[in-house]
Amino acid sequence: MSRPGLSCPGCGSSNIVEDDLYAQQQLVCVDCGSVVSEGALANDPVGGSEVSYSRTTAVAKKPCMNLIKGLQRVKALCRTLRVNREIEDLSETYYNQAYQHKSFIKVSLNKKEVLAGCCVLVSCRLLNWPITMGTISCLLDADSMVVGAVYEEMVKILNIKAPIINVTDVMEAHSQEYKISSVYVPEELAENSKDLTKRAVALVELAADSWIVTGRKPIPIMMAAIYLAWQSLKPTKQRLKYSLDKFCQIAKVNKHKPALKRITEMKEVLCKLGKEIPWVKEPVTPDNVVRLMEDILQHRDALLRRALRTHEDALLADCQASCEDSLIEETAPSQISEVVEQTPDLSSVELCESNAERAKQPGDGDDNQCAASEQHSYTQGSQDSSQNWGKRVLFAPPCVIHAKKRRVEQPEPKDVTGDEEISDSEIDSYIRTPREARDFALAQKMFSMSESEKS
Amino acid sequence: MDSSNDEALDIIVTNVVATFRTRCHLNLRTIALEGTNVIYKPEVGKVLMKLRKPMITASIWSSGKIICTGATSEDEAKLGARRLARCLQKLGFKVRFSAFKVVNVLAVCSMPFAVHLIDFTKNNRPIASYEPELHPAATYRIKNLKATIQVFSTGSLTVTGPNVQNVATAVEQVYPLLFECQKPLCK
Repeated sequence: MSRPGLSCPGCGSSNIVEDDLYAQQQLVCVDCGSVVSEGALANDPVGGSEVSYSRTTAVAKKPCMNLIKGLQRVKALCRTLRVNREIEDLSETYYNQAYQHKSFIKVSLNKKEVLAGCCVLVSCRLLNWPITMGTISCLLDADSMVVGAVYEEMVKILNIKAPIINVTDVMEAHSQEYKISSVYVPEELAENSKDLTKRAVALVELAADSWIVTGRKPIPIMMAAIYLAWQSLKPTKQRLKYSLDKFCQIAKVNKHKPALKRITEMKEVLCKLGKEIPWVKEPVTPDNVVRLMEDILQHRDALLRRALRTHEDALLADCQASCEDSLIEETAPSQISEVVEQTPDLSSVELCESNAERAKQPGDGDDNQCAASEQHSYTQGSQDSSQNWGKRVLFAPPCVIHAKKRRVEQPEPKDVTGDEEISDSEIDSYIRTPREARDFALAQKMFSMSESEKS
Repeated sequence: MDSSNDEALDIIVTNVVATFRTRCHLNLRTIALEGTNVIYKPEVGKVLMKLRKPMITASIWSSGKIICTGATSEDEAKLGARRLARCLQKLGFKVRFSAFKVVNVLAVCSMPFAVHLIDFTKNNRPIASYEPELHPAATYRIKNLKATIQVFSTGSLTVTGPNVQNVATAVEQVYPLLFECQKPLCK
């Protein structure tokens, strides 16, 4: 075949044909016989072509080696977690899909391993086998933030809607990690995993009702629950002496520092409930509340109701006291004594309660005045309480109880239009005078010289 | 900003980020030498300049691109940017204030009720996502407004969007969804 566009360097003719000599392609000029170029070999880059020989002669496309290794890693993770066959198959499918996607095909091997873990995680979630991200991070020995980022990207790409796990679901799987049964530790410290789980789940449910669980990482909560459950199942002096550190050592788990805070918070809640137990005479403190934990958890609904009622009564008493104070300030002395004597505690307390109950005012002339002054003090109270409802209720998250003072919006922005005049004097305040600039440059030089002298 | 309910929700804009160009090359060393309230970062190649009157911090690059952060409203951002350009003019550069654009607005808002995040996420998948192990808030992204809302279980919201109007619309859009997933405050 003749090749257009090429010209022979020898005679300039454009009559060049391809000719095979010993299976090597050559471009030869017909007129003068000189060889223009010797086939593909001359054009190959130094050191061989980009595509390896085995690849060019391969018949079928071989699957990527890293993909195979990744799938084996997925299998290994599934075996470690001892999940069932379906989850294993699903994770492998997802891994195949995600691996081929453009966001994951060229990432580092480290990230591909994390991807394997995330596939296992999402399959477990979909097929109702709750495990936490922390477990996966532990198995992969990777940072949980990295795992989280890869997980979110993968879920977005594969368009999976995975259910969110509840802490109570994960508790059983988590408690299996603790080596605290009689096989591993001496009898006085041993605990059956089932009992431990049951007690810990009850504790976590109580914590969920009292704002300890919301918004917090689940693993420290579970650790705190299991530790307290372990202590309360046999509250001997020996067990109570064990700190969280030692407990984690004997159970062979890594301690999480936030668990200490959770323990304090849980003990606080238990104390608040423990106070309501009618047969306990001594004061309930965080030290002795562990012994009462069994009773508290068993009757926690009733105790919660009692605690809420006590709290409400205390609030009403406060409100009534403040109302009486305001009455004394605003109304005449004679009227006060009448009002205070006549109005029974209940009605003035009713006026103090919610807006809805304000409608139930007793139709008493004096009470109208009382109501007016209370409205005044109540609206102020309601403004504060709507922004800081933590002070009103028995349980609230710490960020609400110790609320940061919200910056009041300044009226200044309303006067700003963005296109006003800018005075020179204002701008001059941002510029150094030439003398200042020279002094500054000098000081910098001296500074850098003294530093270089030191070093 | 009134919502569709009787009560008005306070949306407080806490940060506005804006960019503009000076259309001329800036010598960072001159600015560092002759400007007050200036921090020179040679390793990154920029200068940080802080203004007092609208509390603004500006990152100035030698190409003439400037990013202003810290303003509490769009107009304030514009005023601060113009002040900055004027300042650079006085330092001797041939500055032309151009391509001013508000890039990001961050606002916070507080609902008068707590929100049950798990229900909220279940009702609004896949627009909402919640991973308690990673972040305590649920993220709700509104594509057409390009706004992202982070909902905390205490009822606080942080909203980011390209301008103040979008942010307000985003809060209005998400309010009814939050209202139906509210959690009673005690127990």
